[in-house]
Amino acid sequence: MKKAVLPPDSLTNEAIAARLTNAADENLKKGLINKRNLVYLELNGCSGNIISLLNGQNPSFEYTLNSLVDLRYSNSLMAAEGEQASEKLMAVLDEDFILAVEGAVALKNNGLYNVIGSLDGQPLTGLQAATTLGERASHILAVGACATHGGVSAAKPNPSESVSLQQVLTDREIIKLPGCPVNPDWFLGTLAHLLLYGEPETDNLGRPLMFYSTLIHDRCPRRPFFDRGIFAEKLGDKTCLFKLGCRGPVTRTDCPTRQWNGHVNWPIGDDTPCIGCSQFGFPDAMAPFISFDTTRVVKDE
Amino acid sequence: MQNIALIRLQMNHLVTQARQDIHSLSVMDDSSDNSQTLQRLWDTVSSMHFLSEMLANQAMMAGYYFSTVPAPALPAQPGTAAQPGVPPVTPLPNQTLPPPGDLTLTLQELENYDGKNGRPAYVAVGGVVYDVTNNRAWAAATHFGLVAGKDYTAEFASCHAGQEAILATLPIVGRLA
Repeated sequence: MKKAVLPPDSLTNEAIAARLTNAADENLKKGLINKRNLVYLELNGCSGNIISLLNGQNPSFEYTLNSLVDLRYSNSLMAAEGEQASEKLMAVLDEDFILAVEGAVALKNNGLYNVIGSLDGQPLTGLQAATTLGERASHILAVGACATHGGVSAAKPNPSESVSLQQVLTDREIIKLPGCPVNPDWFLGTLAHLLLYGEPETDNLGRPLMFYSTLIHDRCPRRPFFDRGIFAEKLGDKTCLFKLGCRGPVTRTDCPTRQWNGHVNWPIGDDTPCIGCSQFGFPDAMAPFISFDTTRVVKDE
Repeated sequence: MQNIALIRLQMNHLVTQARQDIHSLSVMDDSSDNSQTLQRLWDTVSSMHFLSEMLANQAMMAGYYFSTVPAPALPAQPGTAAQPGVPPVTPLPNQTLPPPGDLTLTLQELENYDGKNGRPAYVAVGGVVYDVTNNRAWAAATHFGLVAGKDYTAEFASCHAGQEAILATLPIVGRLA
């Protein structure tokens, strides 16, 4: 008989994750679950999302790589290089695969502002890779601000004419994971949900509700200060950072409860305002990140 | 000075609460209960901070009050202390402003209300001027790249079509001339 998960079974994150991973491992061994192929493309961006992914816990990055999926292509992590790597990328096209893309798609000069490799002696542009793989993938995850809405790559004056992944794959449904960078849990959790239960429930902007449903403001530990009108005047103050330009009231993520760097802390926990990195339109729409002229009164301006 | 008596009462309640929580923390070994007590202690201190700010405000206002209205000798009100549920009323800082809703501003005058240097933040939509100083979507008097002190009728129509309910939640300061 299957043992029910009830106290006195430990209900810590680690224990729950261990039960889930053990169950998944057993089902893999029995052949009940098949590992799926994952292609991780890095286009016009800073590779910040894959670095954030290395910080993943429960499941860890190693687990993801070894047990969750078959990582067929990732230019940061694979051993192959040059044409060999591109050939590996093209070999996936005829198989079933999940496509994860970080970075925006640069359109200028037919995509030549972002070359990610070479194929048959020709430069392979990000635009080419995004359209070719995007048309064939079974599921598409846009990872990070640049892939979901252009982000920093598309910020004014946008010299590379960067756009979001959705703008070049207009007829495909894309799960969007905004964030600069994405929290490893948001990516790994969405990927695990995809493998175990199919596509997660999303909002009207394509964001998984399990991570992006709640306003930071509504779970903020400093909310009592906002409600009472007690505002920080400078960085480091322990009260509400609203007057300094905190974007928590317009940003939907679970940062206040999930936190970062192994669930240790988050910007507001360290007395600096939320800059709305997970809001569509970041960074231009979230600027200025910090304002002091709202709280500081100068006699002769 | 009924307010001050109320604030003092609330402050005393909070001090009692804080002492009780500190005592609980000192005798409890179970760390799982500690976080709850600490959270309550944190909230208590936040409330005390708020009340002390209000007291300081009132102290600064006192000169103003006494110079204009001679304070009537207050008879002892036995009922006052027995109403701890009554929320304290924050005194209005700007007694010289006309009543809300009566202001008529030109576009140029509106530009002064940009939320900077201690000024309030106003925006106009459809000829009506709204106060967004403490609106949560207008942190630092900016909203998705827009700055306060301007007419945003067109911007509102393009981003919030069919969401006129948003406007109903904003305090009205007046009209555009």
